[in-house]
Amino acid sequence: MRHLAGTRSTGFWGKFFGTKSVFALVLGLGWMVMAGIGSSQVEAADLLKAGFLEEPKTLNIMRASDRWSRRVLSLIYQSLYVRHPETLELVPWLAAEAPVYDAADLCYTVKLRPAKWSDGSEFTAADVAFTARLIQEFKVSRYLSKWKFVERIETPDKHTLKFYLTEPMAIFESRTLITPIVPKKQWEAIAEKARNSQEPRTTFLNANLETPIGTGPFVLQQWRQGAYLYLKRNEHFFAEGQTIQGRLLGPYIDGIVFKFFGTSDAAVMALRKGALDMFWWGIQPGYLDELKRDDAIKVFSNQRSALYYLGFNVRRAPFNDRNLRQAIATLIDKGFIIERILQGHGSAMRSFIPSANTFWHCSEVPAYGMSLSRAEKVRAAYKILREAGYTWETPPVNEKGELVKGEGLRMPDGEPLPEFTILTPPADYDPLRAISGIMIQGWLRDVGMPASARPMAFSALLDQVKKLHKFDAFILAYGRLDIDPAWLRAFFHSGNDKPRGWNMSGYRNPEFDSLAEASDRAVDPAERRDLVRNMQKMLLRDVPYIPLYNPEMIEAVHQAGFDGWVNMLEGIGNIWSFCEVKPR
Amino acid sequence: MELWGYIFRRLIQIVIIFFVILTVLFVIFRLAPGDPVERMVDPSMTPEDIQLLISQLGLDKPLGVQYLYYLKNFIAGQFGISFHYGQPVVKIIWNRLPNTILLFTTSVILSALAGIFLGKIAAWLKGKKTDSAMTIGALVTHTIFIPWLGLLLIWVFAFKLGWFPITGMISEEVWLDPAAGRWVKALDVMHHMVLPVATLFLIYFGSYLLIMRSSMLETLKEDYIITGRAKGLTGKTVRDRHAAPNARLPVVTSVGLSLAFSINGGALTETVFTWPGIGRELVMAVSQSDYPLAQASFLLIAAVVLLSNLVVDILYAYLDPRIRY
Repeated sequence: MRHLAGTRSTGFWGKFFGTKSVFALVLGLGWMVMAGIGSSQVEAADLLKAGFLEEPKTLNIMRASDRWSRRVLSLIYQSLYVRHPETLELVPWLAAEAPVYDAADLCYTVKLRPAKWSDGSEFTAADVAFTARLIQEFKVSRYLSKWKFVERIETPDKHTLKFYLTEPMAIFESRTLITPIVPKKQWEAIAEKARNSQEPRTTFLNANLETPIGTGPFVLQQWRQGAYLYLKRNEHFFAEGQTIQGRLLGPYIDGIVFKFFGTSDAAVMALRKGALDMFWWGIQPGYLDELKRDDAIKVFSNQRSALYYLGFNVRRAPFNDRNLRQAIATLIDKGFIIERILQGHGSAMRSFIPSANTFWHCSEVPAYGMSLSRAEKVRAAYKILREAGYTWETPPVNEKGELVKGEGLRMPDGEPLPEFTILTPPADYDPLRAISGIMIQGWLRDVGMPASARPMAFSALLDQVKKLHKFDAFILAYGRLDIDPAWLRAFFHSGNDKPRGWNMSGYRNPEFDSLAEASDRAVDPAERRDLVRNMQKMLLRDVPYIPLYNPEMIEAVHQAGFDGWVNMLEGIGNIWSFCEVKPR
Repeated sequence: MELWGYIFRRLIQIVIIFFVILTVLFVIFRLAPGDPVERMVDPSMTPEDIQLLISQLGLDKPLGVQYLYYLKNFIAGQFGISFHYGQPVVKIIWNRLPNTILLFTTSVILSALAGIFLGKIAAWLKGKKTDSAMTIGALVTHTIFIPWLGLLLIWVFAFKLGWFPITGMISEEVWLDPAAGRWVKALDVMHHMVLPVATLFLIYFGSYLLIMRSSMLETLKEDYIITGRAKGLTGKTVRDRHAAPNARLPVVTSVGLSLAFSINGGALTETVFTWPGIGRELVMAVSQSDYPLAQASFLLIAAVVLLSNLVVDILYAYLDPRIRY
């Protein structure tokens, strides 16, 4: 009777796997996905399609910390001043003119230009003051440090603001005044709701803004999560049709559709296929050859405001010895890294501030063998170490002056130089840093240093270096560094040498601390520049970090659709580009 | 009544196992390297600002307190607020889950149908060229590296031939067009589904084919098959009506578990095809140490796996009257 069971199951399976059932199931599931979907009222026109590698996380600008959300929001919310694309100087944006400083009262006066919010209401000084108060009241982490020293704000009229500071503060102009401004009308209700909740700060920062109102060139039209985000041209954009800094601004396009790609491979194919007009993400050198061969594609190369470096743990031996750090700086062949590892798409860094940041960059710092040949580097490093009291069983330069493999390196106290590890991100996260680590390991071993490069998962690497301080040396990077060099203080001030602090190397130098504190208060740019340059000289003398390289920002667009991209430090993805790009 | 008693006992077990998983997940994420705060800070933030951020995420509280909040949230049917989205985790998961179900249910069912059909043929033609070709083909597709296969399909069928969209689930051209109705949009979704479904189909159908073939070979040795042949039934009848229905039982388990694991097993496929599902979200949540979202995603998988096992066991009793609990 066994077949009876089979007969019964045939009926069941017939139903279960029947073609009609499967078709109905697929359709049913399709409808499930489409539940709640209505027809869009938006007409497709001159829409620029930009590719993102990830989807934005939030449209709450007070919370947004991921680059994708911030990129979208940068086109919606605007600040009083922005950076000029060529000079990188701050130029009035929502402000009408440069701020006026009254040193006696510690007061900055800012005049606003006439502007409207995207809902058509007037943008006034009250909005700016309200934004500042929101940041201070709800302690918005991302902006709080830029507003802590603002004691009070007066609004004598709708278009004038007076900011009174508690002390002179250099970053007021360069950091505080570039804070995006939010509309009082929309955010007052959010703030009130937060105040009435059990956890006001958390409620405020978790507020879900479905239709952010801004003063920028674009306004949110539709965000279909997981698929695309559509920004429409803001009809009330204050700069449309105006010439600002000699540039006649649009926007000249009807909107931007941001599409999300899980991998660069897929995004590059979409770009070449014309399904994307622009991929707003740095292209890896590996894609360049095929992109350059493709006539439909235009490639842009711009300097980045980044710092890729080798850092030391100067809290303990052996890297608490400056001579050893200087010798390592001398041995590193930055030219090789640029030419061979970065394939020429980058520049060797001599100081901490990238050379494109001309106002703050200091070139009068020790070169540490930058123009020397491989042999000359070894000889120079050998000389530094020998003069500092280091000895070898087999020195890397023999009695005849020939180079040999150094062995048995001992520190000045006679103890063997301990084995040390250079932590790097893994190759799947950043192949360039991982390979650089391996190359540096080889160069150090040539003179007898027992170095080992060790790739480590990025989050684990940060744990070791930033939180636990359990490391010898590491290769990390900072990307999109602000033009204002206030971050130099953050990276090297002794006050930040603490778990999770930015001073990861544990550099402690009271002289540097004094310079950094003075630079914070130096309102005069020329005076501050001298201080910042001295800070760089001091750091390059002590080398808690060795600046390695600054890779180029390589971006690609599809030529057929749009033209008029504006090159700037960090690439073509900037507010000027989106205000000037035009359909072909 | 025996079955009901069995179901009750299994449900009790499931609750206990689920609680253990709940706790293990909490501990694992806290022990794993990675700091959720690190992804959210920049050098302009002072140590005090960073401390505020830690407090905002609730990470300043002792682990015991965090665990109690976690349990409380779970009992209340909540999973907390995502660190990165700032939105309730439940909302994010409900937004992504239908996309994953659509993709994987379609793939699993289509591949199971193909696997059962071809497995049956392969077993029937055991030792012949057709059998060898199918078995080798199944092994190759089953063991192929998913991202590579996905990118290959994209390159050939989307980039070179232009037959399908490169990635995503919908086209903005269609969905922004006010004239496009529901059917056009449904077709657009299906058009986008073809390549990811094909990828998953190729990966899954091989295992179903191999299971079905193996099970069928065992079944073909049974006495009632010989009896059927002795009665003069045609080969097709013996194969399709007597052997195949009984040989399908192991595939039931496999399909059930595939449906359960498809929620996370598709992380790679969803990433390559930018399919906005749970798998892709899970990968990002883990890489960004978004504890609430990652924990909830894993709990969902655990719940589906546990319940699928129960359903498969019950289905067994229904499909095979000899099985009693």
